Amino acid sequence: MEGNVIEIYVHAGGRSEVVQASPAESLRQILTRRGLIGAGAAEYLTFVGECEDALIEADGVEGGSDTHLPVNIDLSIEVLGLRQHRHVHHHPCRHIAVVVNFGKETKHHSFSPAATVETVARWARRKFHVDPAAASEYVLQFCGSTVQPRSDQHLSQLPEVKNCALCFDLVPEVTPQG
Amino acid sequence: MKKPDQRQFEVDLQLAGYRCGLLKGCWAVENADDLVWPKVVLWLAAVPRNGAPDRFHVALDCEGYRGAPPTGNFWNPAEDALLTADKRPKGKPNSRVSKVFRTGWQRGRAFYHPYDRVAAQNHPKWVHEQPHLIWDDKRTIVDWLEEFHALLRSEDYIGI
Repeated sequence: MEGNVIEIYVHAGGRSEVVQASPAESLRQILTRRGLIGAGAAEYLTFVGECEDALIEADGVEGGSDTHLPVNIDLSIEVLGLRQHRHVHHHPCRHIAVVVNFGKETKHHSFSPAATVETVARWARRKFHVDPAAASEYVLQFCGSTVQPRSDQHLSQLPEVKNCALCFDLVPEVTPQG
Repeated sequence: MKKPDQRQFEVDLQLAGYRCGLLKGCWAVENADDLVWPKVVLWLAAVPRNGAPDRFHVALDCEGYRGAPPTGNFWNPAEDALLTADKRPKGKPNSRVSKVFRTGWQRGRAFYHPYDRVAAQNHPKWVHEQPHLIWDDKRTIVDWLEEFHALLRSEDYIGI
């Protein structure tokens, strides 16, 4: 495996692991090795890569849904394109129903677990027609909390996902003062 | 023998979040294999701006990591000294980028941000004003890197 090894990132059960894999190995072999499938393990779906479907959604669409499909884990790392995609998400949800509140308005979209917080934020800023010049000043915060997830995190990594749903407020970023 | 804070830091350089950003070219700890603890020299990629470099170096003092946040500022590795103010990244007036990267505070030795040890110690009110950015022992260098890398890819970052 040495010399031809591919580094991939497996996100499962709220943890992210760096895994060294050979291109010919199947994803099933890797998930089995990590104890994520097999006897006693829950039946989860597996997605690869990062999903940005929502960013091309037409402005008028309400309650849209990502089309990103789970993969066949019997395929090899090479065939699944993990040399480029890198990320593997092993998650119970086909979609995560995201609600974003901004002022008195609310928008909905069903995101792939492989979407990042940054993708959700970019989608939300566009949906709420936030002035592009000020867009970077608005960030996502979990509803009813002061917690703002890191923008590079995938929805699959967030323990706040309950019953395949997640609620955010789009809030102005606080500028340090004093 | 390495201290626990250094060992923890080195363990965290194996986190998926760090490795992923490294492979994407977002950041790297330059002296990862040869740390002169507690000094850590790293670079962060910046979005293109006229006349500005595509990355900035930072020197951090990571004493007490993860229990204490790092402190430091932009660094000139060629001169082994703090980067002079004229070569530091700037933000639009009154933007968050301009506040965090301000050069007239603490003689430019610390970032004006809750993730900076010196800034946090000097601003106890930030615990209430920016509770989402309070450093605790669950934070890692990946949180720091992602936060500061986000500033250098912000629309409010205007170059040097």
